[in-house]
Amino acid sequence: MQFGIFTVGDVTTDPTNGRTPSEGERIKAMLAIAQKAEEVGLDVFATGEHHNPPFVPSSPTTMLGYIAARTENLVLSTSTTLITTNDPVKIAEDFAMLQHVADGRVDLMMGRGNTGPVYPWFGKDIREGINLAVENYALLRRLWDEDVVTWEGKFRTPLQSFTSTPRPLDGVAPFVWHGSIRSPEIAEQAAYYGDGFFHNNIFWPASHTKQMVNLYRQRYAHYGHGTPEQAIVGLGGQVFMRKNSQDAVREFRPYFDNAPVYGHGPSLEDFTEQTPLTVGSPQQVIEKTLSFREYAGDYQRQLFLIDHAGLPLKTVLEQLDMLGEEVVPVLREEFAKGRPADVPEAPTHAARVAAAKEVTVA
Amino acid sequence: MKLVVVSAGLSSPSSTRLLADRLAAATARHADVDVQVVELRDLATDIAHHMVTGFPARRLAAALDAVAAADGLIAVTPVFSASYSGLFKSFFDVIDKDSLTGKPVLVGATGGTPRHSLVTEHALRPLFSYLRAVVLPTAVYAASEDWGDEGLEGRIERAGAELARFMGASAAGTVPGARAETAPAVPDTDTAAAIAPRSLKGAVTSVDSADAFTVVPFEQQLAALRP
Repeated sequence: MQFGIFTVGDVTTDPTNGRTPSEGERIKAMLAIAQKAEEVGLDVFATGEHHNPPFVPSSPTTMLGYIAARTENLVLSTSTTLITTNDPVKIAEDFAMLQHVADGRVDLMMGRGNTGPVYPWFGKDIREGINLAVENYALLRRLWDEDVVTWEGKFRTPLQSFTSTPRPLDGVAPFVWHGSIRSPEIAEQAAYYGDGFFHNNIFWPASHTKQMVNLYRQRYAHYGHGTPEQAIVGLGGQVFMRKNSQDAVREFRPYFDNAPVYGHGPSLEDFTEQTPLTVGSPQQVIEKTLSFREYAGDYQRQLFLIDHAGLPLKTVLEQLDMLGEEVVPVLREEFAKGRPADVPEAPTHAARVAAAKEVTVA
Repeated sequence: MKLVVVSAGLSSPSSTRLLADRLAAATARHADVDVQVVELRDLATDIAHHMVTGFPARRLAAALDAVAAADGLIAVTPVFSASYSGLFKSFFDVIDKDSLTGKPVLVGATGGTPRHSLVTEHALRPLFSYLRAVVLPTAVYAASEDWGDEGLEGRIERAGAELARFMGASAAGTVPGARAETAPAVPDTDTAAAIAPRSLKGAVTSVDSADAFTVVPFEQQLAALRP
């Protein structure tokens, strides 16, 4: 099982001192956080893609390319890449390029964006959101899987004998996750291709996550990729830890109460009860995270959101130390217990290259 | 048959609740109904939280589920600034947009003056029409002075009889668009809410979770886009 972090890349004022980092500071902080993730033994770093303030990460492969050069083992990913408004040709090129730069330590998560206006900004129609995701991804797959593509569709200018360069590393495209919170069509799409399905459950109750993941698992089996239990599932989660849970609650409360995404709504206590948010000791984070398996089944990737709500970089790095030293080693051990042997690990480039060779030999 | 009464009255005792109860009693005189009252005042913070988080807390989930599962609905609001109250509107803003489709709804309003009496027609009726409910022809408005007057009781009686008739027809499947079979019985709401299936909008529904998603097979989705 893979453990990692994902970042939204928001510039948020620290409510305890009123200080707002500059865009440059936030970008540098994200880079520092990614490198720290590798240092403490995490497996994955994923960045969001946004095209509006207060978010900074508009160009994920630029950022991930830098991180690739500064790390050895970290898998670089996205959360998410906008399959609706980006040109699928550019996604094919950018991520194949990143694969070569990062020696295959790359996968990506498809998403549809978090704000309506992003569609018109890129000349697209929001009412076609799902259809854009369907057509663009179908083209992206062909651009990676076929050397020469002649294609015509509804949303993009046709392609005649087009070759996307560079070709994917070792002839194997990056693994793709499809992220969705509440669109069954996307779970269906992920199942159809045998791709991964990531449910970003951070603001949602368990009952909803269970429903979406179950749908994906059933449809994954329906399309003949394996049993429902073998489908590739990823989940989110957001945490704030201190050694003593009271200290964690005391320190995080002003951030929770004022953060644009949390604040001025339910209390911290209500929110932690109803969603994956955990504010407490490392042991509490371990217990909460292990409970995800009860409703999502044995899964492949757990990403934590830790640089949220305007927390300063120093605090985020401390969180990473705790994740790496106290939480993830226990989670690795506990999640392995009782995990059926035929439940696959999260696909890596090396494993996918080996699997592709096997198919060729057979 | 299940009759749910949504009252947005704020004071205690509340004339809005009084009108709601009178309407429920009138309905019960003409049909065999189990009445459940949803007091929005008790759910006010949960409703606000739902707006900012996108999902309902347990108690609100139970109320939304009860409304979705009802055979008929009585919805009564006080008049605030010439319309329904914000709390009343907020409740129907967070409800699943399909959960009132074909459901008989009796609307009522209360106010301090009879000059607001058409609020049922220019505010409440369009709201429930938008939600594809069957809004009954008779709506009841009660100004303060009506409580001491003669006409109100007659209007309440007529509205209750109408709702009973529509609920009966709806349950028997004779109203177009209404569901033919009676919705499954709702168990104890406290436990039901925790495990209740939710629609894609986060609203709790009475649809069994196995059927909650209707999936268009991917091949069809893809084929529909071929030029």
